[in-house]
Amino acid sequence: MAMVRTPLMFGRMPAGGRRALFALALFGICFAFAFPVLWLMLTSLRPESGVYYVHRGLEFTLASFAEVLTDERLVQAFVNSALISTLATVFSLLVTVSSGYMLSRFRGPAASTWFGTIYVFRCVPYISWVLPLYFVTQSWGIYDTYIGLLLPHIAVHICFFSWLMKGFFDGIDPSMEHAALIDGCTRWGAFLRVALPSAIPAISALAVLCWLFTWNEFLFALILTGNKVPVITVVMAQFVTEMGLRWNLMAATAVMALVPAFLLALFGQKYVIRGLRI
Amino acid sequence: MAVGRRPMFGEQQRFMLFLIAPAALLLGLFQVLPIVIGANASFRNWALYNPKKDWIGLDHYRAVITDPAFLEVVLPNTFIFMVLSVAGSLVLGLALALLLNRPFRGQKIVQTVLLVPLMVAPVIAAIMMRWMFNDQFGIVNAVLEGLGLEGQPWLVERWSAFGIIVLTDIWLWTPWFTLLLLAGLQSLPKEPFEAAAIDGTSTWRVFSHLTLPMLRPVVVVCIVIRAIDAFRTFDIVWTLTGGGPGRSTELFSLYAYVLAFLNLDFGRGSAAAIIGGLIILVVGVVLYRVVDRIAKA
Repeated sequence: MAMVRTPLMFGRMPAGGRRALFALALFGICFAFAFPVLWLMLTSLRPESGVYYVHRGLEFTLASFAEVLTDERLVQAFVNSALISTLATVFSLLVTVSSGYMLSRFRGPAASTWFGTIYVFRCVPYISWVLPLYFVTQSWGIYDTYIGLLLPHIAVHICFFSWLMKGFFDGIDPSMEHAALIDGCTRWGAFLRVALPSAIPAISALAVLCWLFTWNEFLFALILTGNKVPVITVVMAQFVTEMGLRWNLMAATAVMALVPAFLLALFGQKYVIRGLRI
Repeated sequence: MAVGRRPMFGEQQRFMLFLIAPAALLLGLFQVLPIVIGANASFRNWALYNPKKDWIGLDHYRAVITDPAFLEVVLPNTFIFMVLSVAGSLVLGLALALLLNRPFRGQKIVQTVLLVPLMVAPVIAAIMMRWMFNDQFGIVNAVLEGLGLEGQPWLVERWSAFGIIVLTDIWLWTPWFTLLLLAGLQSLPKEPFEAAAIDGTSTWRVFSHLTLPMLRPVVVVCIVIRAIDAFRTFDIVWTLTGGGPGRSTELFSLYAYVLAFLNLDFGRGSAAAIIGGLIILVVGVVLYRVVDRIAKA
């Protein structure tokens, strides 16, 4: 072992060959991860007659998108999903930023109890609380309403986002807040006017993630709504089982539901990646 | 509150309380309370066809843990899925992170492409896979037939359907591992690697003796978080197979859902949901210990 030096990876290849191999690997990776999405896009552009043989023929049309946009239920679902995602983002951040700040800046039994609580509830499978939540929303008369879907969506992010926010605030030096306190600033003032502005990048990252999580969420809407509040993921899942033969429409709907994801991947990258760091 | 006990409940305590009060209230109303109500329901006869709601003790729990479908299908499925999905996306994600851990042109493009699966709703991912693996019109079978092989009825047989569920999950989550591990790799100190390069240490030894031990904390957290989330997977199973063929690809979340909303037995569904919650609690703790110990060894 000590005598025979194993060459470094690709060590024996000439530099050009190594670079070609590397480029090929990169291309393969990108292709593997992008292919399902590309295939879905291609399907959505095919006319109804050609959708079953996507790989044969070259007619393309936007007719499926036009049909999706005239379907009242689908449009309603897009509007609902966007509305609920936006509201859930705003309210989630309002409650978790302060909770994360508390976790980051204070020690002692209160902070550690709260931390333990959110840690445990982060691990509880969704079904374990959303299933009985069905009775709760029914008995409160908020089953199948906006508010009945919105509130659980706010609640679900409390644990994870408080935890992330704690991490973000941990990275911000508290000495500025101490200085503000000594100068006669109130605790709220130190939090809102000193700590909060430095946390804006982190909050933006969470906002992006929260919007996306809510837009993509399926189980809550499946259990907590009936017909009155269609959201896009549930409508699509129904599509698959009920209208499984109209793949061009299915694909067009899915592509439209992917648009926010693409926009965020393209323009919000910095924030998304920051938010994904645990 | 507690005006007379100001020293115990001073200005700082009040501030702390106000900071967490909204979050605690929402958590209490929408997670803790439902779990309590679910626990209560799980001890009662509470089904659409039998809404007496009388106390029957542990009968539902007994029924669930002796249900052959739960013991022989759902539980093994859930754990096999958890292991395969986490191991698959960890290994792939680590490989990709090591490959990408060098400056190259087009890094930004690769990163953007890798971000896409992370943004895609699991339901949409499942729809894409279902379409690609469609037995009559799917591209996978078209390619196989083009190569002179026989197309497979992918979603109609248990293990191929299960494999596609795992594949979908790996597609969804490999980029997450890659990005986190890449960030971890890039924050490692340079000196040990330079020293190893001067000594002519083999690539494998650098990886197993330097990279992996130094990445350990990131890897441990990634595995624990992902495993806990993989346990509750619902969306992709529901959309890809609906638990079929038969009930052969059901995972735990789907099992509880079917009991409560298709069989309309809320009591038993709640019992199943609680059993699952308890299992993941134990698994989470054990997993953390085991992974941590392996990583330290």
